[in-house]
Amino acid sequence: MSKMQKKSTPLVDEHLQNLQGMQEANTDDFFYTRLKARMLAKQSIGVNNKLEPGWNFPLKPVWIVGTLLLLLAMNGFILTQQPDKEKTNSTASASPLQKFAQSYDQSISSY
Amino acid sequence: MNEQELIQQLRQGNEPAFRWLVENYRNRVFHTVLNILQDTNEAEDAAQETFIQVFESISSFKAESKLSTWIYRIAVHKALDKIRRRKTRQQLHKFLPWWMPEEKKSNEAMFQHPGIVTENKEKAAVLFKAIESLPEKQKLAFSLIKVQGMNYEEACEIMQQNIKAVESLISRAKMNLQKKLEDYYKTNK
Repeated sequence: MSKMQKKSTPLVDEHLQNLQGMQEANTDDFFYTRLKARMLAKQSIGVNNKLEPGWNFPLKPVWIVGTLLLLLAMNGFILTQQPDKEKTNSTASASPLQKFAQSYDQSISSY
Repeated sequence: MNEQELIQQLRQGNEPAFRWLVENYRNRVFHTVLNILQDTNEAEDAAQETFIQVFESISSFKAESKLSTWIYRIAVHKALDKIRRRKTRQQLHKFLPWWMPEEKKSNEAMFQHPGIVTENKEKAAVLFKAIESLPEKQKLAFSLIKVQGMNYEEACEIMQQNIKAVESLISRAKMNLQKKLEDYYKTNK
């Protein structure tokens, strides 16, 4: 016996006494009928899924939330990339002469 | 019908044998999962899933343990699986409370075990609430041995743990429950 087991737990023991004489919780008499119906339904879904595997798309909340988070992350990433482009655009627009020169490749003086 | 004959017939997909098994074990399985899950609907669901798995995987049963132990083991796994899913739902509910409003009600509800006599129901409900907050293994060991009254040997086989490990789980569960009950009565004086 470990040291922990020697420690007294009076409240637990007192509450456990209330469980003495506890009767077994029972299901009703139609348990088997419900079980059989569920098994048949599962079987038919299995057959349908074999015929149409395209309908197996996961619609569990975890997948839905996961997809949403992924989309949000992609959105955020795109948004963070946007200012850089604008910066380059703004520097370009700040000096139209340079842009003009770049587009006609006249920035380098050959004279 | 002895156990070997029953297993043989179940392996052959004999429906009367399966029905006999369900009728003989349904209440025991339901009682076990109800003590762990503390929710009648989820317990019914877990009991059904247990028998479906028994039916589907009887061919892989190696008879290294008793059939009843194997069934209980499946039932316990189903119940623990439901608890894990419930925890995920509760965590999700914290972030998105508008999504699953019924989750809040189930968190706050006190479980009233149908097999307990009326005068003991209140204290039993407090104990069940405390048990619910125990770590998974402690909860399982305490529910099987102290609540259900299963013997240590059978509980060890179901949990696939040695007797020392289960004893340790029980003693830690009792210490944790003592603290939780003390806290409960301090705040609800």
